[in-house]
Amino acid sequence: MGRFDEFEAFDDDPPEVDHDTVGLGALARPVRLPLIVAGIAALAGAIFAATSTADFTAHLDRQVHAIHCSVMPGADAQMGESGCRTVMLSPYSSWFRSSYWGGIPVAVFALAVFAFLAYRAFHLAVKGQPRRSEVFFLLAGTGLPCLMSALFGYLAATKVGATCTVCVGMYFASGFAFAGALVAFLLTRKAPTPDPRAVRGFALGFLEGCGFVAVVFLAYLAFMPEVKAEKGRGPAGCGTLVEAADPGGVFIDLAVRPGATPSIELLDPLCPACRAFDGRLAASGLGDKLSQRAVLFPLDSSCNWMVKSSLHPGACAVTEAMLCAPAEGAKVLEWAFAHQEDLTAMARADEAALRKKIAQEFPGVASCLGSPQVKNKIVQSLRWAVANALPVLTPQLFVNGKRMCDEDTDLGLEYTLARMLEARK
Amino acid sequence: MSTWLRGAERRLQASDPTAAEEEVAIASVAEDAYCTPRLKGIVRRVAGACGLLGDSGRGCQPMQAKQVAQLTDDEFNSLFRPLTKRAHIVQFDADATELDPAARGAVEAAWADQRGASFFFVVARASPDGKTDHNGELSAGRARSVLDHLIARFKDPGIEKQVGLLWLGEDFAQLGEEFCEWDRSRKGEPCTAKEINRSAFIAWIDCAI
Repeated sequence: MGRFDEFEAFDDDPPEVDHDTVGLGALARPVRLPLIVAGIAALAGAIFAATSTADFTAHLDRQVHAIHCSVMPGADAQMGESGCRTVMLSPYSSWFRSSYWGGIPVAVFALAVFAFLAYRAFHLAVKGQPRRSEVFFLLAGTGLPCLMSALFGYLAATKVGATCTVCVGMYFASGFAFAGALVAFLLTRKAPTPDPRAVRGFALGFLEGCGFVAVVFLAYLAFMPEVKAEKGRGPAGCGTLVEAADPGGVFIDLAVRPGATPSIELLDPLCPACRAFDGRLAASGLGDKLSQRAVLFPLDSSCNWMVKSSLHPGACAVTEAMLCAPAEGAKVLEWAFAHQEDLTAMARADEAALRKKIAQEFPGVASCLGSPQVKNKIVQSLRWAVANALPVLTPQLFVNGKRMCDEDTDLGLEYTLARMLEARK
Repeated sequence: MSTWLRGAERRLQASDPTAAEEEVAIASVAEDAYCTPRLKGIVRRVAGACGLLGDSGRGCQPMQAKQVAQLTDDEFNSLFRPLTKRAHIVQFDADATELDPAARGAVEAAWADQRGASFFFVVARASPDGKTDHNGELSAGRARSVLDHLIARFKDPGIEKQVGLLWLGEDFAQLGEEFCEWDRSRKGEPCTAKEINRSAFIAWIDCAI
């Protein structure tokens, strides 16, 4: 990988010509400074990317861990919900998810790219005689993380709805690295004659960068944890439904697709994890292969005797609305997911206000909300979970009657679901 | 990076995939504090004899209820005393088995308030006015009215398995006037021992039998 000497060899200028010193002695120091800035920024980016990679890889043991969520390198990791966790669990945090459990984190590629850019920037700074073509290559290289930062920033804002602070660190590092490289490029004098080896040098530099990425990628693949499929883990699933029928008519059609694999999702309309799961399932593209139905299981003690307190206040009221008009159930669920925080806060303050809001939004259910009939429907929905002895948690996904293990519902969703679907064929 | 990945693999191989699941509660029917072993035993005997647990048919005759419960009148009624907040008393006109609108509302509200309960008891009675045999039939008709209304109003496949009917006529476990203070369908109207026994006592029993 080391190509310091080769770049020296490509210099086709006469040996006595020194770009930094021939008539430009005063610029020698200014060029080095922005290069050092670019190098430090790239190094910071590499540290952020390494932090993110470490957090991601920790979760490959299928457990829940604290993750870092600060722009300050070395800050303590945190448990619980955070923008960083939301982004990490989103389908945009890694690639090749259907092929590998969790996929290959984007941060791994970022780590390789930032490390390469830091090496190139410091090399040029130490070298002290950067040719314009070399600095241009660095500038082009730093453009890549800038473009990726813009893309992932857009995805975080529009698709995920959360911001990862460590990622923001990478965005800033990308920006500073690019700015440093740009200033260095502007301060580097254009060679008096065209540099015939510039293109070759650029291509070799590009290959060198690809080599950096390939080595890191292959190393990641080589050491990725793997487990054999066994009962209670992975595509083998964690149990099966014993009472898959719906005698009480409480299933809600989410997206029924004739011929597709039947699936049942146990969910709570005001459960953030259910909303996130729904988003991951939709983004995975595998949802289209499922004929999706839902059974409602509100984690709200006002109607669910299995929970001691209301984890999601107002969930019973929204569940009532869905059961009052099952044909509108998917629409009500979409609305509840979209306004989850507001609805929960409203119910916590005054559940009657939430019921009024639901009635305004869906006038067709107004007369049914709170009626004995719909309360009885909720009981039947909950008793479906009792009949199947299901864990008291949401979300849960059943694919063709087989329960997806909880550990596979986030990072391993695509990998596991793809294999569960394959097993049905 | 290899250290991180190897660490994850080590932890993964060492972990028990079922351990986390065992820490989560399993969905189950309710088990209230009043469900003492003695009460559960009695409920099981009464429920079994009244057709809830087996296929022997629905409903208990007065003597059967007395025999299976093996209780005195007061002991039988005391079974239901802890249900103050769960029970409702549906009142009827004299010599009548039809539910009035208030009674229908009370039956529906009671049924909808099932929560995690497993058994819905309907214990119908008659006041001592009139002949004993007729009062036995009258209380049977009142219990049946409650069940019929539930079937008509709710499309709940669990009704047949969850409702147990007992008709006690006038000769077993008559309610005392203190039950006038309980939640009843004719709140505000005069209530003596006669009125409170022209009734069906309905309640979900929160015991996992």
